Amino acid sequence: MKGNDSSAEKLENERHFHQTAKKPQLKPTPPPRKKRKLKSQAFREAMTGYFFLAPALVLLGVFLLYPMGAAFYYSFTDFYILTPDDVSFIGLENFKYIVEDAQFRQAFWNTVYFSVIVVPVQLSVALGLALLINKKLRFRVFFRTAFFSPVVMSLVVVSILWTFMYNPNEGLINQLLQTVGIPPQPFLTSPDQAMNSIIVMSVWQGAGFQMMIFLAGLQNIPNHLYEAADIDGASSWQKFWHITLPGLRNIALFIFITISIAAFKLLVQPMIMTQGGPLGTTKSLVYHIYETGFNYRDVGYASAMAVVFTVIVLVITIIQRVLIKEERG
Amino acid sequence: MKKFTYMFLGLMLLLAVAACSNGSGGAESDGGNAGNEESDGSETSDTVETGEVDTSVEATGDEDVVLEFWIHQTGEDETNAYIELIDDFNKEHEDIHVNAEVIIDDGASAYSDSINAALVAGNLPDVMAIDGPYLSSFADAGVIQPIDDYVDQETVDQYVDSIIQQGTYQDQLYSLGAMEASVMLYYNKDILEEEGIEPAHSLDEAWSWDELLENSKKMTTEDRYGLNLFMNYGVGEWLTFMGAPLVWSNGGDLISEDGKEVDGYLNSPETLEALNYVKELFAEGVVTESPGEMQFEEGKAALALGGPWIAVSAEEAGINWGMMPYPYKDEKVSPSGSMAYAITTNTENPEEATELMKWMTNEEATIKISEATGMPPAQESAFESMDKFNELPWSVMKEQVIETAHARPSTPAYPVLTDAFAQSFHAAALGEDVESVVEQQVSRVERELKRFNK
Repeated sequence: MKGNDSSAEKLENERHFHQTAKKPQLKPTPPPRKKRKLKSQAFREAMTGYFFLAPALVLLGVFLLYPMGAAFYYSFTDFYILTPDDVSFIGLENFKYIVEDAQFRQAFWNTVYFSVIVVPVQLSVALGLALLINKKLRFRVFFRTAFFSPVVMSLVVVSILWTFMYNPNEGLINQLLQTVGIPPQPFLTSPDQAMNSIIVMSVWQGAGFQMMIFLAGLQNIPNHLYEAADIDGASSWQKFWHITLPGLRNIALFIFITISIAAFKLLVQPMIMTQGGPLGTTKSLVYHIYETGFNYRDVGYASAMAVVFTVIVLVITIIQRVLIKEERG
Repeated sequence: MKKFTYMFLGLMLLLAVAACSNGSGGAESDGGNAGNEESDGSETSDTVETGEVDTSVEATGDEDVVLEFWIHQTGEDETNAYIELIDDFNKEHEDIHVNAEVIIDDGASAYSDSINAALVAGNLPDVMAIDGPYLSSFADAGVIQPIDDYVDQETVDQYVDSIIQQGTYQDQLYSLGAMEASVMLYYNKDILEEEGIEPAHSLDEAWSWDELLENSKKMTTEDRYGLNLFMNYGVGEWLTFMGAPLVWSNGGDLISEDGKEVDGYLNSPETLEALNYVKELFAEGVVTESPGEMQFEEGKAALALGGPWIAVSAEEAGINWGMMPYPYKDEKVSPSGSMAYAITTNTENPEEATELMKWMTNEEATIKISEATGMPPAQESAFESMDKFNELPWSVMKEQVIETAHARPSTPAYPVLTDAFAQSFHAAALGEDVESVVEQQVSRVERELKRFNK
């Protein structure tokens, strides 16, 4: 407390100091009329506001708005990286090809499949972990750390590690399976299993983060509700259904939206683990866009796909927003 | 605070584990950047950092010509060899100064990303290293310029044919390289002896496709594969580098000679037959699509169709190994191609830039780089001066590089073409219907070709 007092005092002193220091600066140009004075002061305040906004606005413009605008523009051109001086306008050609492009279609459905599985599974796993850890267990801190640590690791590193673990001949998982008599599985090399293997790894990597958010939510639910329920003789299932879940609703919705968007942006796992294979079964939309733009240098077509991708994500987000509003009402 | 201590310790442990496994796993690469493979195999610790190189010769400021030079960074020994060569060049040429910049080449796209960025911004250097088969697209786009005017025929004749083939686009010479690369059929001597199989000791004795299949079958057991095709390198340049000679040997091609027509080439009966041979190898179970990193080195595969770097890692692993020529069907051909140098259209001093290229790829340089990387040299005379290549097993590689090396197709659509072939090869390995996959890939390449066939 003592420390607080003295720092408050210090703050007071500083404020005082600033006031005395600034006064002479405010004075030198006394405006002739009261009305103008107000106007110029408002103007000056606005300018100060913009001045403080400027760094953020400039960064936003340079790294977000300009690239978005450029991508939109290039999506109507045949921009090829090797000939940046020879870009011609080709209208809707790129967008027409998106409809024909079998790879785009495959990548789209791969991404949808990934999202539709990952979102509910990761949400439930995160909630389950949070519920477990919220109990007063022994080694609680250890488990919390263990569940959260994959989140802190680089996704690239995690992907490489899991690629080793999934190896049919020498991988950890297959060796464990063999000890219980199950033959080695081609986790990443079979078209039927590759995407599911990536899903399992992604949930393992990502759930820890949402677990922490759920945990914060759980600890926010007032304890007296549970106590009241105990007095009423509620079972633990009833308590979970009628107290815990409603108490977490807003947090769950927030997590739902963020996971959905993140899932749609799937890139690193297939890039590192399967290069989109086998037979394109793990190629995601973003990966297809990346390959087209950088490996095949077709920036025009890649931009067109990026525009379509943005629209898709936008639509999904809007739909989710509408649903959320309904639930609140 | 205690919580954080636990969390921190746990994390450090995980990261340490991750770092270790990462180190041993990151060393693989594809054939296109075959130069990546370091002489010390899995433990590539690079002390040379990406960026401006501190060459020991400083520019005095009164040189007439200053050349910007980009080299790819793959391993310490290789980069040091380049730096020494550049130093010598600067000493030797009073009027020219070379500023070298080392750019990381991870075997994926890091190096080409740098080139792409500089290209769009218009900051390309005077001379740069490029991956052999990508030359056509750079030449077609006018990014690099022909050097015929600055190189005489006598100089050209000193290089192995495949390197000149790789450096030529539409009858004009664009690039010179110091390194060749190849794919040999490595074998485990102990296993062959055990099974009573006689290896080939020269190009004349090379195995045919049938012999490869038969012998691989014979040597496949419960806990050992007959053959390793390094499918663990992923679906990329490696599959084209290693696999395309199967097509050529069968009289097929990936694309027409002029690089403008793919229908009737990538889907020709000869190409399909070659891919179906690959399919058969996998179907017979003599090779797996997911081998461990060190399958051959650990004696878990009797044969391996691998790059020059496998000789190094096999030697390190202490197995009793040898190498045979690439197996053939009708004509004997073998993989070829590596990083090479080209001068950009940005340069104002093409003559001096070519001088630098010649310096970086002369006999002395090719020997130096071959010693640092384990890759075969690109100058024929270098093979003679290096003792190693005049006795078994390396004499087989020398014979193969000089006699049968075949450059990858020359077409500006190469980036798409190589992926199309790699996808087809991979589909064959997975036992898919080769024909339908190839047809799909043909239409993909055709769309890309439209851009260049205007």
